[in-house]
Amino acid sequence: MILKKLNEIFIDVFDDEDILLTMETTAEDIDDWDSLAQINLIIAIKDEFNIDFEFEEVATYKNVGDMVNAIKEKTQN
Amino acid sequence: MEYFTYDDISVGQSFSFEKTITEEKMNLFLQLSGDNNPLHCSKEYAIQNNFNSRVVYGMLTSSFYSTLVGVYLPGENCILQEIDIKFHNPLYINEKIKIFGEVVKKDDTFKRLEIKASIRTEDKLISKAKIKVGVRK
Repeated sequence: MILKKLNEIFIDVFDDEDILLTMETTAEDIDDWDSLAQINLIIAIKDEFNIDFEFEEVATYKNVGDMVNAIKEKTQN
Repeated sequence: MEYFTYDDISVGQSFSFEKTITEEKMNLFLQLSGDNNPLHCSKEYAIQNNFNSRVVYGMLTSSFYSTLVGVYLPGENCILQEIDIKFHNPLYINEKIKIFGEVVKKDDTFKRLEIKASIRTEDKLISKAKIKVGVRK
């Protein structure tokens, strides 16, 4: 469920209908996933899931799976 | 130049200023950009194509969006990250414009502001913009 919502956010941010995320997807798999795109992603995630992130923790995410786990943890609290 | 830090800025904070695009500014922009489309350079051509006169470059008026954020809101600490502009009506030389911007959202994680901005004459909307800027301090 989280992964599906995340996929919609990625499609919107990157304006690319072909994006299909897995837990292993990284920035190397998606064109234009740079630091500015990361900001747009995280802000969209915050708005969608009504959660907050610290700047430092965002930098530790290595792949989509890390994002999903972080969202899961924050929405359960 | 203003020097607002991220914490100084509140949602709802706004700023506006006025400018007029003169013949001289049009010529300078032509030199800078190389855009010699006759709609901007030939009064006769513009009139033949149902405009009142030479049309001011959209990107020339939009350069004042850069001024809005880079000089006034937030000013020196600004980093322009994204701008989405929609053009609504043509502007003609020597018409006075008002550039307005209002902070509509703050993101504390990235110290980023979203600013809703517009450029208007007394009686028409020239363009609207959604601007995202980082605030360095």
